[in-house]
Amino acid sequence: MRAASLLKNGWRAALLPATLIVVAQVAATVTQLESDTLASPFDIAQAFGSVMADGSLPKATLDTLKAAAAGCILGVGAGSLLGIVLGLSRLADEALDLTIELLRPVPVVALIPVVMMLLGFGAEMEIVIIALGLLWPSVVLARAAVKEVEPRLMEVSNVLQLGFLARLTKIVLPAILPQLFMSLKLAAGYALVVAVTVEITANPLGLGYGIMMAQQALRPAEMFAYLIWIGAIGWLISLLLNVAQRTFFPAFVKGEGR
Amino acid sequence: MVVTQLSTRPRQGEDNSTPTSGEARIRIRDVTLSYGSLQIIGGISLDIAPGETISVIGPSGCGKTTLLRMLAGLARPTSGSVELDGSVLGGPNRSIAIVFQDYGKALLPWRTAAGNVSLALEARGCPGAERPAIIRELLEKIGLGRHADKYPAEMSGGMQQRLQIARCLAQEPKVLLMDEPFGALDAMTRQALQDEVLGLVATTGATMVFVTHDLEEAIYLGDRIICLQPNPGRVGRVVDVRLARPRDQLLTREDHEFLRLRRELYDLIKDDHQ
Amino acid sequence: MKHFSLRKLLLGCGALALFILAWKLVTDAKLVSPIFFPGPERTYAALVKGLSGGAMLSQTLETVQRMLLGWLLASFVGVFLGALIGVSRRARAFIAPTLELLRPLPASAMIPIAIAFLGFSDNMVLVVIAFGALWPMLLATIHGFAAMEPRLYEVSAVLGLSRAQVIWKLALPSAMPMILASLRLGLTISLILAVVGEMLASRQGLGQSILAASRSFRSPDLFAGIVILGAIGLVGSRLLSFAERRLLRWQAVNR
Repeated sequence: MRAASLLKNGWRAALLPATLIVVAQVAATVTQLESDTLASPFDIAQAFGSVMADGSLPKATLDTLKAAAAGCILGVGAGSLLGIVLGLSRLADEALDLTIELLRPVPVVALIPVVMMLLGFGAEMEIVIIALGLLWPSVVLARAAVKEVEPRLMEVSNVLQLGFLARLTKIVLPAILPQLFMSLKLAAGYALVVAVTVEITANPLGLGYGIMMAQQALRPAEMFAYLIWIGAIGWLISLLLNVAQRTFFPAFVKGEGR
Repeated sequence: MVVTQLSTRPRQGEDNSTPTSGEARIRIRDVTLSYGSLQIIGGISLDIAPGETISVIGPSGCGKTTLLRMLAGLARPTSGSVELDGSVLGGPNRSIAIVFQDYGKALLPWRTAAGNVSLALEARGCPGAERPAIIRELLEKIGLGRHADKYPAEMSGGMQQRLQIARCLAQEPKVLLMDEPFGALDAMTRQALQDEVLGLVATTGATMVFVTHDLEEAIYLGDRIICLQPNPGRVGRVVDVRLARPRDQLLTREDHEFLRLRRELYDLIKDDHQ
Repeated sequence: MKHFSLRKLLLGCGALALFILAWKLVTDAKLVSPIFFPGPERTYAALVKGLSGGAMLSQTLETVQRMLLGWLLASFVGVFLGALIGVSRRARAFIAPTLELLRPLPASAMIPIAIAFLGFSDNMVLVVIAFGALWPMLLATIHGFAAMEPRLYEVSAVLGLSRAQVIWKLALPSAMPMILASLRLGLTISLILAVVGEMLASRQGLGQSILAASRSFRSPDLFAGIVILGAIGLVGSRLLSFAERRLLRWQAVNR
């Protein structure tokens, strides 16, 4: 039943991209395309095969994903921790709210020159920028999650006279785990965006640098191959995290759903 | 039969399922409705005279709401037809208004009370200059005169349902369909609204079809009561209500005829439930 | 609704003062070389000098103009296309999956493509900003239209509203909360892409200015630029929240 409906709706979803690819190929063949900016789908597939075979694409992918993952763990970890503290302590929240509101709107790319000056080029600098970019969103999400913990549960922990640590590990963390995972899900997508942005702007490694080099070497087929690959990676990450979320927090996904 | 024949309303005839005269406002001809293999409505025929108030009752799942949606043109009969003033109804029609039970979903939350009423006027192309006066009059009539600038979220359930009725009146409908409109309201608000609706129907001369699961409400409001039976939905009984108009929450409900009808309908519905 | 309390204001200002003091102590103690990391006074001095001397002021205006232009372009195109696609169930079935597929693509990955077509030009930066900010608005509008209360479609049918009236009077206002949220997100993206674009294409603006400052180790200028960028982001999102609160007044009572 599900497979049948998937097939029934699937062709509609696939029609537009399939048509675009065919039209592009036909147009390229008819005009005998020779261009520094455009490439036919067939050439793009060929270029994809060759950068895959010579190992440059897998290496770039690994570099980008490593930096994104490290930055993601660092940023979400530190941000969530701060967010939990702010959610639990009204004093800390009221005190730091203004400062956070002032620091939060600084666009993360503005930090590229600073971090570049301090750390030079390389994976470290990229990781730090990604972590900084994910910090504030994680703080905000974790803080909101803690504040939404059922007040009854907090009263229970008061009645049981749990210490701060026990309250954190036995009540708060389990209660906000689904929201923390959602925060991680959002952060993972954003981490990839920041990683590619940093690589395109400054850092000579990874997928962003690869696509930039392909453009500057006037190899449009390779450039589009990189672009499609980056899109596919982003799509795959969000797919995996959605599946994980549905597996581990099925009730939460339903509550979140439209 | 104890008859209190004081009805102020012209009656269409004594055969109570089909008035003999040809000028029915709504004529339902052998209507059925199925979803796939599931038959919801299994052959209903009914004539409703202009100005008549019909109550529709029946156990849950008997197709009350579906029947009403067909009268509104929101659902298409699988076979048979619904006629309005002699012409077949092909879809929703501005001269048929419907009051939904879930007033919270049927109002535009981003428009004030006045704005919500205005929507119906905009739909029928009423010139902008004339709207404020009409809106004010309608809101006054329904008791929301002082709340014109409130958003639905700022109003109680009863006020929101009044607002939905006001919007329906702005359509200047010939037929007013009501789908358990007061089901979600408290008893006092309910009674107040019942009287207001009766008053409105009397002054505008509109025909009303009122779906409810409350037997007393059905008797209190109706000229006739249609009892539907389930699986598939069909007309079980048609009961004439011979109670004086205007009706009164205390006197009418203490009337012998009222109590007798209540007993009769209760037994009917009870049998259906078994 | 945020409650405005004196206690909170005092606490907040106190913490901010502490933050600046800590910044000053760190730089005064030379924990980080002052070449890389200026103290608050030097940053402030650079800020005042830059804004009064003119160079930084005109760069700020350039960046703001770029950001707003790209954002406006994206908003109009996004909401218009979103409404066209969102209003028809069939169009949604055919087009929305492709758009969802493209959504995770980082907007910055389009920069090389834009450079290939338009070179290192102002138009290139503008196209990149508009393209990047377009997605959230487009998808939010489509989703907003799709999520309209089905009862309202019935109301519109009974009232006999025309298709244009349904879009203008029902679908668009009911999608408004989602659209407004996406406008805010779009503005954030516009600012980021404006800065990135200026850095890459060396166009006049704060992005290019802070990159140049960092290359020549003028760290006070760099930090002054960051402060201004933060201020732009802050003012932009505050203005949009204000607009949101005004336009969604009908929601406030719900919460």
